[in-house]
Parts: sequence; structure tokens; C-alpha cells
Amino acid sequence: MTGFLILATFMGIIIVSFAVIIQKKLADSIILLMGVGLGSVVLFFIFKAPDVALTEAVIGAGISSLIFLMALKHLGEEA
Amino acid sequence: MFEFLNQPEVIKVIVTIGSMLLFFVGLFGLLTRKHIIKIFISIAIMESSIFLLFIGLTFNMDFIAPILDSTHVNVSNMNDPVPHAMILTAIVIGMAVLALGLSFAIEYFKLTGKTNIDEMNEMRH
Amino acid sequence: MSLKRELPTSTLSGFALSGLLVLTILNILLQNMPNKIQTAGEALLKLNTQEGVANAVTTVVVYFRGFDTLGEIAVLFIASLGIGLILHTNSRCDIKAESNFMLQTASKILFPIIMLFGVYVMIYGHLSPGGGFQGGVIIASGVLLLLISYKTFEVPHAVIVALETFAGVSYVLIGLIGLVVLDTFLGNFLPHDISQMGMLLSGGIIPLIYIIVGIKVGSEMSMIVQNLIQRSNDV
Repeated sequence: MTGFLILATFMGIIIVSFAVIIQKKLADSIILLMGVGLGSVVLFFIFKAPDVALTEAVIGAGISSLIFLMALKHLGEEA
Repeated sequence: MFEFLNQPEVIKVIVTIGSMLLFFVGLFGLLTRKHIIKIFISIAIMESSIFLLFIGLTFNMDFIAPILDSTHVNVSNMNDPVPHAMILTAIVIGMAVLALGLSFAIEYFKLTGKTNIDEMNEMRH
Repeated sequence: MSLKRELPTSTLSGFALSGLLVLTILNILLQNMPNKIQTAGEALLKLNTQEGVANAVTTVVVYFRGFDTLGEIAVLFIASLGIGLILHTNSRCDIKAESNFMLQTASKILFPIIMLFGVYVMIYGHLSPGGGFQGGVIIASGVLLLLISYKTFEVPHAVIVALETFAGVSYVLIGLIGLVVLDTFLGNFLPHDISQMGMLLSGGIIPLIYIIVGIKVGSEMSMIVQNLIQRSNDV
């Protein structure tokens, strides 16, 4: 069961990350980057590493995407 | 099929190939996209793939998380805590350096107004 | 001539070459994969029980590799210094819009809960998953919530400077006291009985150092976030 879960999560992460770099609007690709972070947290949880999962959840899906969005506002891009 | 996928060699093969594929998706985005923010996003994806590879290679399915308790005092079947400590540091530093790079991009945009990397050619003459 | 205009040949050839290299390395790696990789983790796990700390990852980050954590704090400090140098401005900020009534009311309820959760994760870092890095970033995200809700809110510069200075200086001071008392930098000079494992006051200097790291990381993240939001729009 563990191997099947790892395989399914990896496929999900790769599909979402392919959608990140193909998008035309930049706000959409930043929100999909949060999806990559979510898949990464699930994978760290399956690998039995709770500290790393907590750090990736707070930083990768919390602060990092918000920093990208604030920089996008300064670059003058519309929503 | 579930028993075939639970062997340790097959799990290592899945983790290695999956994280290398993620690395290549990020590399493709880094080489072919023209907007500067999209290049930073691709770098973030590449960093994430390396973290997954690092922890997935020392993963053993029968072991438990490295936290001692009143009921878990046997340290011989716990996961390895050294890669966890290294990846924790690497995640925080990666985010800080990415924020520094974004501040450079913002300042450049305030000075010249360009975000396409093909037009940033002040040093080419 | 027109074909070279359409296909980026140098980009694609570089891509294919790096792909060939990675596939070669992968092939070698997958054929000779050992079943059990030799690591230093088992010896460190046995040494961990002598310190009396429940979370093994905390002991490795703070005590066994405490010098690496000092270097990582230095890297964070340099990155925050660079962002502050480039983006700091003294003029009034007019890029923030007046926010919604719902956001202002909800942030009044959410901000104390987020702060309490961040302090809890930071203080109980040696007993359950968590620690200084996670707690500091949670506190910074609480400050970010207040920054986007109210138009005239800003964290005063003197407070952040005082917190950062205190945390940085006391980290090195604790290391030097360990050098004087025990002949090793960052030695454990407070009592750390193994019978106290699981209590709040256990493990010697390890929870103390992690709280200091949490204060420093939290204040630096707040400064980064505030610099990125508050820049006057003079376009």
C-alpha cells in the first residue's frame, strides 16, 4: 500500500508542476506552486519525517508563495 | 500488484526516477521561459525535487519516526535523523535566497521597466 | 537560416546533453543500489539518549551540529540585510489598499490564535515535532496577516533591531560560556538528567538555544515581509 501511495503522489506532483510552467498568467502558476508544496508535504508524511513535513508546510505553502505574490504586485502585473 | 510495489528496491527506483523527472520539468521551465518570475518559480521546483530525493533514499518502510516516547524507547528501529536536520536547514535558506533574488528583480523593474530576459542587454555593447 | 530562427538549437542540445548525463548516472545508481546505506544516524540516536531530549532531530540540529545552525543564522541575516538595503524606503507607503470589513474583523480573532500556536510550537520543540524555525515562520505569517488587514500598521524598526541583536549575541554568549565551563564550544552545562525526558525543563541548553533561534528567525522573516509590502509606488 505504501508503494502505491508513493507512486500516485509522485505522478500528481509531476502533472501539477508541468501545469505550473505552461500557464500564461503568473498568478495561476503561483497558486499551482502551492499545490506542489502540498504534494511534497504528503510525501514527507509518508516518508515518516514529521519535522521536515511541518517546515515544508509552513514555508513552501505559506510564506514562499506569498512572497512571490507580493513581488508580482510590485512588477505591475494585473490579477 | 500492491505486494510487488512494497519491496524496498522498487520504492527506491520509484523515488529516484520520480524526483529526477521533477528536476527535469523544472529544468525545462528554466531554459525555455522568458519572464523572470517564471524562472524563479522553476528554480523553486528544482529545489523541491532534491529535497524529496534526499529523504526518499534513506526511507525504510518498517521503521518509525525518530521521536522518543515513553512507549518507543528502542532506538534500533528508528529512521535516520541526520538527513532530516540537513533538509530543514536547506528549506529555510532556499526560501531566503529566493526572496533576495526577487528583490533584485523588483529593483531592476523600477529602474528600467523590463521583465523579459531577452531585452535585458545593457552589458552587451 | 529560417530554421535556426524557429528552433532554439543551443537550448535543446544543452537539454538533451544534460538528460543523457543524468540518465547515465541513474543507470549506474540503480544497478548497484545497496540494500542498507551506511549512515551515522544509529550512533547519534544512541548518543541522544544521554542528553535526555525526546526529539532526536532537535538534538542533531542544535547540539551535535550546532555550529552549522550558527552558520545558517548568519546566511539568513545576510539575506535579510540585502533585502533591507535594496528595498527600504522612508517615504509613506501608498501601495496598500483599504481592506474589507470581513478581513479586519477576522484578523482580530485569528491573530492571537496564530501567535499562541507559533509560541507553542517554538517552546515545545524538544518534545514533539516543531522547533525554532517552524515557530518563527508561523509568527511571521501572523504579522503578515496584520500587515495586509490594516492600512497604517507597521512593526517599529527599533523593536526588530533590538530582538535580532539580543538573539544573535546571546547565541554566541551561550557557546562561549560552554567553552569556559566544559572546554567545548556549545557544551551542555545545564543539568540534563535522562529521567526528565518528556518534561518541559529537560535537556540542558537545547530548548534555550532553540527559543533563541526562533526569536531570530521570526523577527528576520517579519522584516523581509514588511520590506516587500511597504514600498512606495512612484511609477
